[in-house]
Amino acid sequence: MAQSKISRRRLLTTAAAATGGMAFMGPWMHTRVYAQATAKPIRIGITSDASGQYANSGAEDRRGMMMAIAEANAKGGVLGRKIETFHLDTETTPATGSRVAERMITRENCGFLVGAIHSGVANAISQVAQKYGVIYLNTNSSAPSEAGQNCHRVKFVFDANGSNFAKAAVQASIEKFGKKWVLLTNDYVWGHSTAAATKALLKQFGGEMIEEILVPQGTRDFSSQLLKIQQLKPGAVAAAIGGDDQKAMRQQIAQLGMGDKTAWINNQQDWPDVYGLPLDNLFGVFGTTWYYNLDLPGVADFVKRYKTMFPDTAIKVPGNVFYNGYWAVRELLGAIERAGSTNNIKVIKALEGHKMPARDRMQHHDAWIDPVTHQVQQSIYLATANVGTKDPDDMFKILGNTSPQEALDPDASGACKLESYESTPTFDA
Amino acid sequence: MTSLVPHVVNGLTLGLLFALIALGFTLIVGVMEVINLAHGSLFTLGAYLALSTIGAGWFSGTPFGIWWLDLPMASRYFIGLALGPVLAGAAGMLLELCLRPTYGKAPLYGLLLTFGAAIVVEEAIRLIWGTGEQNMPVPQMISGAFLMGGLIFSTYKFYAAGFAIVAILMVWLFLERTPYGAIIKAGAHDSEMVRALGYDLARLRLIVFGFGSALAGIAGMVMAPIWGLRPHLGIDVVIPAFLIIVIGGVGSFWGAVAAALLVGMATGITGAYAPAWSLMSMYILLIAIVGFRARGLLGRRSALEN
Repeated sequence: MAQSKISRRRLLTTAAAATGGMAFMGPWMHTRVYAQATAKPIRIGITSDASGQYANSGAEDRRGMMMAIAEANAKGGVLGRKIETFHLDTETTPATGSRVAERMITRENCGFLVGAIHSGVANAISQVAQKYGVIYLNTNSSAPSEAGQNCHRVKFVFDANGSNFAKAAVQASIEKFGKKWVLLTNDYVWGHSTAAATKALLKQFGGEMIEEILVPQGTRDFSSQLLKIQQLKPGAVAAAIGGDDQKAMRQQIAQLGMGDKTAWINNQQDWPDVYGLPLDNLFGVFGTTWYYNLDLPGVADFVKRYKTMFPDTAIKVPGNVFYNGYWAVRELLGAIERAGSTNNIKVIKALEGHKMPARDRMQHHDAWIDPVTHQVQQSIYLATANVGTKDPDDMFKILGNTSPQEALDPDASGACKLESYESTPTFDA
Repeated sequence: MTSLVPHVVNGLTLGLLFALIALGFTLIVGVMEVINLAHGSLFTLGAYLALSTIGAGWFSGTPFGIWWLDLPMASRYFIGLALGPVLAGAAGMLLELCLRPTYGKAPLYGLLLTFGAAIVVEEAIRLIWGTGEQNMPVPQMISGAFLMGGLIFSTYKFYAAGFAIVAILMVWLFLERTPYGAIIKAGAHDSEMVRALGYDLARLRLIVFGFGSALAGIAGMVMAPIWGLRPHLGIDVVIPAFLIIVIGGVGSFWGAVAAALLVGMATGITGAYAPAWSLMSMYILLIAIVGFRARGLLGRRSALEN
């Protein structure tokens, strides 16, 4: 009787072939096919900057996302699945942003990507995300082009943009400070598209741009530009300078005592860029989407949760960057719940047009996700330095708020051409 | 033309500040032929150490800290100006001890080691002082602004430029007019001969590296009130410092000073008239000068040029 016998060599060869075959199929296939049927965690790739010009804001952005994820996991996750994160530094560099996105999607099996401060990086990430159909939440980059010509079906923009802030500030500032303006513009996509919005509004309301001074990223000495501004004697200076560049600029303007000699209209003021600085560095009028001391229901509890979760962080109270990071993730997880699925197209549809009551978001006006541009339309606050405050954290004095309807970017819907659902790859995350 | 004058003045002050930044880097490259990529991190470390000295640092809240903070700001500032760089110099000496195994090997070893040290120092700063922006206070007497030709200039910036002139002259006098300076220069030209004459070459290198690092620390403290203070500030320093020594000619003290002034003028004037080119201008200057004169402004002629 012939005896069936498996030789050691045959066993090893078969095992090697099986392992090779599994490797060929890859975790990618495994994730896509079986994710829904199992309690496999939902994997979110966090693409915030940890080094470079926006490292500090990137850390605050990340803290916001982590708090939203921790709260969701404490409630048992989403659709019965826990949420896992994977973070890589995008280095405030678009090329790195592309590489990070590619790796997160193809090697780390991230079904969603979240995080951005630098608009060039956000644009780079979103191009990769669109190629794979992976939903990407641009949390904090605010170039109008992000919800305009660089919009994508998979991308949702959670910050207000330069055009929204300009709409909230320019008309009243022309009336108050005069028609002659100088634009001080960071020489990259956010600066340029914000300046374009300001120029259009100046033209619309009878203002005049007498000079635009382009400031390269990485500028540390602003003395030439500040001398030039003094020579030009404008009524107002509209500054769109971000990150470390802005910190250096503010410090130098304060040293010269120019903060109250010229009317400074700073498009948007990210909280991590000024937190802890002396108040004389915080001159002029600036925009924000949220402030930790707004007299609205829920704000105090939100601040308390922040302090409990991050007791050792140098930024003792949350600001707009944290807020946007938090709400982007909250809304993503909410959309997955509403869709009842992690299918990307279903989640995209659950996000598009979604309305967010003011009470939930701790703002003065209801917000919504514009289905045409994928930008969150929300309240805009104008603020200035809270001179005379005894509380070192209470740096802003809120001057007023503008509704999302009033601050709407009129050009975005014409510039944004979303890809069709059919041309967007579909999968279950 | 009158509108150009303030920009020329500004360019010169900027140039002097660049010279201050490059001073320690030039010394170490010139004498030891080591490109110290940790220069920027030592610059930042010096500033943070000075900041902690001014603000009582780890003694904050203790009786000593309370007594210290009662001292006039100017006294604490000038003690910080001395102590911060001394401690940065000590950190530089530690780095030199780590560098010793790389001497005599391909320059890449030293380059990689100092690059690694730069990352370690930056991360240590992040752990100790946090990631946020810090504000370096300055005494009343050197803060504020003054009017010149109807324009506002920063008092502190002119103080910093004046400080740079003094520092440049002191370093030059040390190298040219003291016996120890003569030994350092001799060590740069012919280290074997210096050793044969009985001088301790290892100690000489240690002192030069420490001195160069202390100069980086001084520059850090002087520049922090202008550029702001954050852990990754060092990256803003290494590239201009490196460009300046290449433009000036590697190893040439006055070449580096002249190059710094040129870079300052180029940055200052383009900053006013073609601001988008202001950062690029130093690279264009580098290409223009090195393209026509490979050894830089005052560098020694290479054997390959003969």
